[in-house]
Amino acid sequence: MPALRRWAAPAVLTIATVLTVAACDGDDSSQATGATTTTATTTTTISGSATSGEPTTTTEPATPAIEVRVAGGKVQGGVRREQVRRGDAVVLRVVADVADEVHLHGYDRSADVGPGKPAQISFTADIPGVFEVELEQRKQKLLELEVR
Amino acid sequence: MWPLAHGIGSRSDLPVPLWMAQYGGAAALVISFVVLVALWRLPRFEDPDAGRPLPDPLQRAIDAPLTRALLRLLGLAMGAAIVLVAVLGPPNPGTNPAPTWLYVWFWVGLVPASLLLGPVWRALNPLRTLTMAISRVAGDRDAELARPLPAGLGYWPAVAGLLAFVWLELVYQNAALPVTVAWFLLAYGAVNLFAGALYGPAWHDRGDTFEVYSTLVGHLAPLGRRHDGRLVLRNPLRGLSSIEDAPGLVAFVCALLGSTAFDGLTRTQLWTRLTLTGGPLANALIGTAGLLAMVVLVYSVYVAAVRASGRYLPRAQRQQRDWLEARFVPSLLPIAVGYTIAHYFSLLLFQGQAGYILASDPFAHGWNLFGTADWQIGYTVISTATIALVQVAAIVTGHVLGVVVAHDRAVGTFPEKAKTDAQYPLLVVMVTYTTIGIALLVGA
Repeated sequence: MPALRRWAAPAVLTIATVLTVAACDGDDSSQATGATTTTATTTTTISGSATSGEPTTTTEPATPAIEVRVAGGKVQGGVRREQVRRGDAVVLRVVADVADEVHLHGYDRSADVGPGKPAQISFTADIPGVFEVELEQRKQKLLELEVR
Repeated sequence: MWPLAHGIGSRSDLPVPLWMAQYGGAAALVISFVVLVALWRLPRFEDPDAGRPLPDPLQRAIDAPLTRALLRLLGLAMGAAIVLVAVLGPPNPGTNPAPTWLYVWFWVGLVPASLLLGPVWRALNPLRTLTMAISRVAGDRDAELARPLPAGLGYWPAVAGLLAFVWLELVYQNAALPVTVAWFLLAYGAVNLFAGALYGPAWHDRGDTFEVYSTLVGHLAPLGRRHDGRLVLRNPLRGLSSIEDAPGLVAFVCALLGSTAFDGLTRTQLWTRLTLTGGPLANALIGTAGLLAMVVLVYSVYVAAVRASGRYLPRAQRQQRDWLEARFVPSLLPIAVGYTIAHYFSLLLFQGQAGYILASDPFAHGWNLFGTADWQIGYTVISTATIALVQVAAIVTGHVLGVVVAHDRAVGTFPEKAKTDAQYPLLVVMVTYTTIGIALLVGA
């Protein structure tokens, strides 16, 4: 029996931890699917009907327009994470009721924003990673941009 | 690390792919399991004097007074440069290299440097150099008149310095401003020079946060020094047995691990939601509470596990709790280093480039000292898949080395029949740390 005892406890431990890891991962995947995906190409491939024979793999140059609205200095709908693909031409639009400067970190692009003067930043998403967009003066985070 | 995002470190890593995290976690578990039950029953890494001596000429060159003096001069030059640039350079971290030098080159770079070469900061530390110079000017060449360090003090001043620094780096919203860097460097320098004048160079062994950090990580270097002064190439795990125990050692390592975990936490979307509505003050309070909570969590979980193992000690040894806690610290160190590499590797690689780009024109005079002024940070020098792989590999390697060291220490500590049982509590703790570490990478 000592041999059995020697192996039993680690085995229980292992199983318990695998379950814990699995549980944690479950949370994360649900979170990931919850995030809005603005890549224009994602929907086309799934809807390809069985009769069409070949799946549509050709992707037109995607131009996702990402819009953030700020009301009363707060981001409407909360700060979200937008995913785009590397190489996408992205248009970032910020409509705000306060005067400030919109700053996209990492890419280091800025544009002034004010009541009635939306900010628009157009760029090619060529740096992979997670980047913040914020109102520079207020240090108010507007958006997380995930380029993969 | 959004506080640093206001100027430096403006890119953070993509979440690690789920499959990679799962493989990593599974590998960590399987190896832990094997180490626990199937490996050696007598300690193997407890002899700090093992290793293959370096050739004589190499040792003489490394230990030559000239080499040492040059290293000290280099350290002084580095110290003078960062203080000058932080104080006199432009006020913006996008043009002033001092914040990048401090948070990226120095703080992050200290880890790989020490991991390869040993306690490098001890040889370079300008504060130690100045303390030695002060002793000499005072006519106390060998610091014989210096007071002995109070016995209970141990590493606690270094712990305080570490918490102050990581708070500044990870919580304070103006962390990246050159003026913050200037004040921190001047204050840190003043405190350490004052204490150095009082206690002599020995202060820097215990109280000087950066030297303590570099020396601790340096125990994991393949290059080591035997007690007789001989430089040897050795199994890095043997170096861990020569860590000098003193009060505060456990707290120091737990503060390292806890602060890195906190940094991971602040990059998750959970944290983004938590700090969304608060103003700067509220977020500073949430950040401070979060940082302290992570450190306390890491510390208390470790201490609880070691105490649980203490039940397996012979009755006569059971009161020696502090001894037992310190005895397993070497097993936490590889885990802390793994966390650090996972979280800061890409920062060093990308933001590190700003250190030499901005160095060409540190005072915003339109200079181009090194011809690098027009360079851009190359964000594509390494793929995101490679970064993710390095991150998972660092956490898993740290975990495996931690488990191996803990096993080695346990078989040298506990009586024969309790050797396996006594390892469970600490193993659970390590698996917990690793699971958290991997989960933070996935949730980034």
